[in-house]
Amino acid sequence: MAGPRESPILETNDIKEERREEVSLDKNKPEDKERERERDNNMAPPAGSSIHRSSSRPQLDLSKAAIQGNSEERDPTILLPNQSDDISSHLALDIGGSLIKLVYFSRHEDHSTDDKRKKNVKERLGISNGNRRSYPILGGRLHFVKFETHKINECLDFIYSKRLHHGGIDSHSWLTDAPTNENATIKATGGGAYKFADFFRQRLGVTLDKEDEMDCLVAGANFLLKAIRHEAFTHREGQKEFVQIDHNELFPYLLVNIGSGVSMIKVDGDGKFQRVSGTNVGGGTYWGLGRLLTKCKSFDELLELSQRGDNRTIDMLVGDIYGGMDYSKIGLSASTIASSFGKAISENKELGDYRPEDISLSLLRMISYNIGQISYLNALRFGLKRIFFGGFFIRGHAYTMDTISFAVKFWSKGEAQAMFLRHEGFLGALGAFMSHEKHGLDDVMVHQLVERFPMGAPYTGGKIHGPPLGDLNEKISWMEKFVLKGTEIIAPVPMAPPGTTGLGGFEVPSSKGGTLRSDASALNVGVLHLVPTLEVFPLLADPKMYEPNTIDLTDHGELEYWFTVLSEHLPDLVDKAVASEGGTEDAKRRGDAFARAFSAHLARLMEEPTAYGKLGLANLLELREECLREFQFVDAYRSIKQRENEASLAVLPDLLMELDSMSEEARLLTLIEGVLAANIFDWGSRACVDLYNKGTIIEIYRMSRDKMQRPWRVDDFDVFKERMLGSGDQKPRPHKRALLFVDNSGADVVLGMLPLARELLRRGTEVVLVANSLPALNDVTAMELPDIVAEAAKHCDVLRRAAEAGGLLVDAMVSGQDGSKESSSLVPLMVVENGCGSPCIDLRQVSSELAAAAKDADLIILEGMGRALHTNFNARFKCNALKLAMVKNQRLAEKLIKGNIYDCVCRYEPAR
Amino acid sequence: MDHGSPSQEHVSHLALDIGGSLTKLDYFSRNNECSNGDNNEEKSCSKESLLVSNGDKKCPVLQGRLHFAKFETSKINDCLEFIQRNQLHLGGCQHGGAPGNEKRIIKATGGGAYKNADLFKEKLGIFLDKEDEMDCLVAGANFLLKAVHEEAYTYIDGRKEFVQIDRDDLYPYLLVNIGSGVSMIKVDGDGKYERVSGTNVGGGTFWGLGRLLTKCESFDELLELSHRGNNRVIDMLVGDIYGGMDYTKFGLSSTTIASSFGKAISDNKEIEDYNAEDVARSLLRMISNNIGQISYLNALRFGLKRIFFGGFFIRGHAYTMDTISVGVNFWSKGEAKALFLRHEGFLGALGAFTSYEKHGFGDSIVRQLVQQSPLSASHAGYKIHGPLNGEWNDNESIECSVYVN
Repeated sequence: MAGPRESPILETNDIKEERREEVSLDKNKPEDKERERERDNNMAPPAGSSIHRSSSRPQLDLSKAAIQGNSEERDPTILLPNQSDDISSHLALDIGGSLIKLVYFSRHEDHSTDDKRKKNVKERLGISNGNRRSYPILGGRLHFVKFETHKINECLDFIYSKRLHHGGIDSHSWLTDAPTNENATIKATGGGAYKFADFFRQRLGVTLDKEDEMDCLVAGANFLLKAIRHEAFTHREGQKEFVQIDHNELFPYLLVNIGSGVSMIKVDGDGKFQRVSGTNVGGGTYWGLGRLLTKCKSFDELLELSQRGDNRTIDMLVGDIYGGMDYSKIGLSASTIASSFGKAISENKELGDYRPEDISLSLLRMISYNIGQISYLNALRFGLKRIFFGGFFIRGHAYTMDTISFAVKFWSKGEAQAMFLRHEGFLGALGAFMSHEKHGLDDVMVHQLVERFPMGAPYTGGKIHGPPLGDLNEKISWMEKFVLKGTEIIAPVPMAPPGTTGLGGFEVPSSKGGTLRSDASALNVGVLHLVPTLEVFPLLADPKMYEPNTIDLTDHGELEYWFTVLSEHLPDLVDKAVASEGGTEDAKRRGDAFARAFSAHLARLMEEPTAYGKLGLANLLELREECLREFQFVDAYRSIKQRENEASLAVLPDLLMELDSMSEEARLLTLIEGVLAANIFDWGSRACVDLYNKGTIIEIYRMSRDKMQRPWRVDDFDVFKERMLGSGDQKPRPHKRALLFVDNSGADVVLGMLPLARELLRRGTEVVLVANSLPALNDVTAMELPDIVAEAAKHCDVLRRAAEAGGLLVDAMVSGQDGSKESSSLVPLMVVENGCGSPCIDLRQVSSELAAAAKDADLIILEGMGRALHTNFNARFKCNALKLAMVKNQRLAEKLIKGNIYDCVCRYEPAR
Repeated sequence: MDHGSPSQEHVSHLALDIGGSLTKLDYFSRNNECSNGDNNEEKSCSKESLLVSNGDKKCPVLQGRLHFAKFETSKINDCLEFIQRNQLHLGGCQHGGAPGNEKRIIKATGGGAYKNADLFKEKLGIFLDKEDEMDCLVAGANFLLKAVHEEAYTYIDGRKEFVQIDRDDLYPYLLVNIGSGVSMIKVDGDGKYERVSGTNVGGGTFWGLGRLLTKCESFDELLELSHRGNNRVIDMLVGDIYGGMDYTKFGLSSTTIASSFGKAISDNKEIEDYNAEDVARSLLRMISNNIGQISYLNALRFGLKRIFFGGFFIRGHAYTMDTISVGVNFWSKGEAKALFLRHEGFLGALGAFTSYEKHGFGDSIVRQLVQQSPLSASHAGYKIHGPLNGEWNDNESIECSVYVN
């Protein structure tokens, strides 16, 4: 199995243990890719091979299929999400009366580099055998796509172009580009699975394997509610509020699926459910009656109409009967609808005399109220606390959700709440997907799923789609065309309707001030990335209560502020990004497309803060990085990072000498001051970017450090010092292992964190540097760190020996012999990746190697705004935690610490 | 007062229920002549009126009958004219001997009692004494269920079957009054009740949507149309989705309506391409079924054995009753039955009538007789097998005795 990229490792002479393991592995496993894959799919790998296998398994094969031979490069291009779309393993369909919903899974690369560093880390951390779960499930992405049923050909084209019909789990056709497998089957549900079975056989040569609709609905809902954090939300007066549901308290619940008709299902567990009720007044009634009454051409058009309607012209209200008065005795206000369409009886008006808008709204309210009422009565009947509404009728349409919520609230007198699901339309398709015997998603945990919102990929998400876009180039062309033609463009359709994205700054059409807008509140459904190696950070004191974001973007003021910050920063970022790709015409084009795409994301968010689910600042910042990657800007700050690292490394020896001349106490303070001072080098901060133009790195660093006047705004230094140095004659036991979450490249890591790491090593504490898996701004990555450490180690024995002990200096193993002797007695310096590519960190989803490294850790040091302030400022840990950051943003300083820009935070929290 | 109408002195009382769509009125007459008003709403034959002494009570008993009439509220002038012509308004709260000087007061209920108060004062010089709508509904239903012999019946598969209800075993019950909207009232006794639910999808919805969709001129016309329609043309049935098959796993037969009007979405048809009959039928089924379901769920919630449906939506219309019955039967799996009231449309008006305190109406009636005119039903014990179409003629009157203090 070991592919060409790994063989050099096997030949390195110093890693004896690993070599043995490889040898024994080789005995067990002949180089048979086919068999290998089979076994992966059949799960339960033999003990001892799981790590090796899980990290390297389908990678080679897949990369051949997906990337154009760049794996040999020194800095291999990180595999882009959309490039590997073609490698899908499952497809499932829900063919309803009006819409076809597709869910498909594409396997993808393990993004983390499978390099020797990682291998060594795993050795050191002892995460090879048995102490980790094995991962029989494949990493990959779950995509959600919709088509209108009457345009079924578009759907077939899509499937064909992505070769989704070839991708059954047992089919290897993607490997060999083999012709269509005649026996291929696709799981399908919904009435159309029967109706269109022949059509699919003729056109794609596939058999539709029909799954029961209710089974699928329930399986889909259970999966979403268990696997996706904040899947459910309430909707009141236009406000969405995401609800986190404890898995253990999920059942029983009432699932109301509003399709053409309505089914109400009492769900008691996985596969355990009962259809307890339903109503024939559903989405089909709305659309059917709506079509007859308004001549609308589509469901969406009808919904859109309702947005501008006034139902009072056609509904008979209590006030109409009671001469404008409430019927207070029974609690009916004058504006309550007494009789839907009741006014149409008393006036001598024809159908043509009523506005279609009003009719649509009356109809919508009539049906929504009715569904809400019957649902509540059924929930009451079975004593169910929660009612989840799903199905195509809802479509994230604000008014629909509001009326249903209102009805449930009204009839339950506030005791019951209506809840909705972000993936509402995809329950059936997901369930069909789950019905694959070996879909591998059974055990998926919340922390293993990451949702991404690709912008340039118009076929992703909750909207109905036209023809698929093939590659990046098409994507960019599409963005350009989109901007050129403004609102007129019809196909392919972007994620949000053209008029509402605000893309390129053109005017948004007719918004009814103060009222709800249908389109604005439609939810974007991203691609679910399944990353089996993600885990919950084990040192969180209370993982269930943990909320990474300090700043809540549902506060509109905050959102507006960060919108402005990010918008202003955008041109600079684009410049950097384009420059990082050599400033070519192609790079410029991609840069423009990126800027537009990200602006559109921002504009969309401003319009509908919950469009992407529950979004914190961390997610917003990550969205930007993802957007960059999507337009193939792998590392916008690459050259800057490199330059600053070099400059900082050049002055490091002087700094270390200076430190070594100090007393223990003075040194510790200077080190912490140094971390805080070096944290000023931050390309993410507007204020700091301005500083860069005014001095050299070491000048700024020293100036900054000299200004570190204690007490800092948050100053727990003395408590930390006491823990480190003790008081009086009491010498405390050193920490066993410290996790240092590093921030920026250059001075920040080299002059700030490395010296601190060195101090800890000297005191006998193992140090694990935790860095990003993927680039974000100028943050240092786990890939870059070993080289930096190696360079620093040239001038420092402490670092060198620790790095050797930690296996970081494999490349530079010049003095390998004596190094290995010493290593046993020395505390190691290691580097692990954190599993994310954002300037912030969500500790619910960290890499498995970080989780493993955390096992023996008794000190955590979080450094920088992103990881210690924007996120995790309020996080509590099971071990001692030190949060260090300079606040480089006036607003944040005021808000968080009631201070000013450049104030410092040194927060120390003993274990709890 | 020197109005010279011969029927004047015999009309004792009038009560009104002015709803959103219909105005219902009932009045008591002890006239011994056939009052042949030219309005065909009122053509009851009458019997001798007797003055009997009733046991211990020394008050006079008036033998006479209660008449019922209805008008479309939008044509309220017809109603005013009717009252005027028959001098009904003069019998109200008038005490013999001192006419003219007193405020003439008529009991009225329904939302329109508020809305049209001025109109009645202006046109007829009468004051509407507003009685609470729910109070009246309940009082009317209680009166009918206790006092009128064969008032309640089930309607299953076109078969009307009267149900004798023990006065002592009447409460609690669910009263579903289907007017323009629908009120669902849990009744625990005389004057003891609670409006527990309702729905805005009611008779007004049927008529309103029906008018827009079919251009019918009247509610009755729409009902008539529905009688001849076939809902399968427009409704999406379970079989339409499952290729003609039942969805047996959940006990849904292929003819179950999956989505009312659901077929209208896939056909490239305009509204004109559908038969008005079919549209009316789909609409009726949608609304009846829905009311039946919500009613059943509410009865279940409060553990109520009986659900009585009343209000003008029903009008003894066979198919309506059938659908409601089927709805209740379907959702309750046969455990609950829908019951209908012969005087369904007049609950409110009757209730208003009984609110004339001096009658002591509700509990003092010694004897009543149900007069069905034109009578076309055959008696078989308690069961009356009505005509298959179930159309109840609302021109009947109830013969009854009224005490006069």
